[in-house]
Amino acid sequence: MKRLAPVLLVLALIALAFYPAVGTGYGLRAMLQVFMWIALAGSWNLISGLTGYVSFGHVAFFGAGAYTAAILIASSGWSWPFAALAGGVAAGVLALGIGWPCLRLKGPYFAIAMLGLNEVLRALVSYFEGLTGGGNGLSMPTLDATVPVYYAMGLTAIGVTVGSRLIIGSRFGLRLMTIREDEMAAEAMGIPTFRHKLLAFLLSAIGPGIAGALAARDQGYIEPLSVFPLATTITMIVMTLFGGKGTVWGPVLGATVLFVAQEMVWARYPYIHPLLFGAIIVAVVLAMPRGILGLLQTKYRLPRTI
Amino acid sequence: MNVLITPAMVGQVIISGLLSGVLYGMVALGLALIFGVMRIINVAHGPLLMLGAYTTFFLYSAFGLNPYLTVPVSMAVLFVVGVLLERTLVFRVVDAPELSSLLLTFGISIALVNAAQLAFTSDLRAVEFLTGSWILGPFAFSKSRVIAFVFAAALTAGAFVFLKSTRLGKAIRATSQSREVAMVCGIDVGAIHRLTFGLASALAAAGGALIAVIVAIQPEMGQIWTFKSFLVIVLGGAGNYPGALLGGMLLGLVEQLASLFLTTQLSEVVAYVLLVLVLLVRPTGLLGGRQT
Repeated sequence: MKRLAPVLLVLALIALAFYPAVGTGYGLRAMLQVFMWIALAGSWNLISGLTGYVSFGHVAFFGAGAYTAAILIASSGWSWPFAALAGGVAAGVLALGIGWPCLRLKGPYFAIAMLGLNEVLRALVSYFEGLTGGGNGLSMPTLDATVPVYYAMGLTAIGVTVGSRLIIGSRFGLRLMTIREDEMAAEAMGIPTFRHKLLAFLLSAIGPGIAGALAARDQGYIEPLSVFPLATTITMIVMTLFGGKGTVWGPVLGATVLFVAQEMVWARYPYIHPLLFGAIIVAVVLAMPRGILGLLQTKYRLPRTI
Repeated sequence: MNVLITPAMVGQVIISGLLSGVLYGMVALGLALIFGVMRIINVAHGPLLMLGAYTTFFLYSAFGLNPYLTVPVSMAVLFVVGVLLERTLVFRVVDAPELSSLLLTFGISIALVNAAQLAFTSDLRAVEFLTGSWILGPFAFSKSRVIAFVFAAALTAGAFVFLKSTRLGKAIRATSQSREVAMVCGIDVGAIHRLTFGLASALAAAGGALIAVIVAIQPEMGQIWTFKSFLVIVLGGAGNYPGALLGGMLLGLVEQLASLFLTTQLSEVVAYVLLVLVLLVRPTGLLGGRQT
């Protein structure tokens, strides 16, 4: 198993790299979505899975990235790869602005501040109509870039996952997990907790910013309701919890399994989607706090750090 | 803003702010109670308020009951819902890390909102009972808001008297000061947790019932109330029950002034900036932290 896993991983990556040559339009779009959810779930995991500070508003970074890119593409004529990077930077700056006041404190302040952030950004976008088009939304020039966006989104997902692997295996990652287990003890050991939390939060915002920018380019049109839905935050939380929070492969596993389940089974019952997700969150928190990866780790004696 | 702002207008918004502020204070007192006693921020507080609003709406539209008479009914229904939620789910995360309780109540809140969407549809519903205003000199007071203020003030006062002078109220405060010591004194801490959760849900329900007469309701109305209630207890100082009332009035005032000097569209942004400022400058709240 241990020797087989890297080989399988490389094979899967090669298959995905050549997929656009053979895949159907639907298949390509579905894979694009899987990549996006891997990037989003993996990013949420960096702050909430590692430090235990729950972000209830991570879609804010997705939306901020989407609007930054859309404005740069539509008004300033930027090419989309640079606009996507700018989306990541904008999300990072926003994270610093929110994290600075809210992460200095222990306790639930950060979680609830994130709960409100989404509504605030939506109100601001509607208010600054001149820049954002308000409720009418913002259209970008048409461009058939599905295949390049597919690769860019794939790279974002890989970037987030490799980044998580490097962080979780490093002293920085261990310190973040120390904060999660006991913040007082972490402080007593001399870990500058505020700086670590802020850096983790900054890193967790960049992926969603880029993903939001790429999704905006792919759709060609954005409006406040389409890029700031609470449902996106809920989905990335569910995927991470279901796969296994605080691990490298948990978010990847959770995003893939739940996306496939969503397409195959629940697409027929869109109305009960949130009910189901709410139930999964409650069930995972109470019955299987380490997710399905945790179950696999116990059953097959896999290392805890994957 | 090129509209001239007269002193009468400022007086009007100050009074309106204080009127709605007491309502905020009452709803937030529920959240503060749960936080004080169980050390949990109940993300489902707003959705419970929404259920209270729907209880009133259906009693009004199906049986033609006076909506103000349904306030105690809503409170009783949600008291039971709150106790059941605590009994089945929430008690399991009382001693767990904060992540667990936040995520659990978040999951409950999503499920409640979606269940309400399925059961009641997302249509806006209004209780058109008491419209119009009372005119008093240069000021006009919306009737439904004034009555909501009277109810909220009475219920909040009732809650304080209950906490201050009854045996159960004292047991709640004792548990919130130190669970271990309360246990040693023979207080059934589990029962106090259930009672607190039920009471908090009943206060949210009263808020929902009163709001239903003021504005149209819909299943998604709740989330913003979780946020506002939290903002109120941060303003007043977490764990400080009288602080909730002061925080509520402050939030009402700031929102109304913002709508006068800026625009109503930005009132949520102003509330958010207020939260960030308080966290930066005085994170223990204006009245200081825990004292019961």
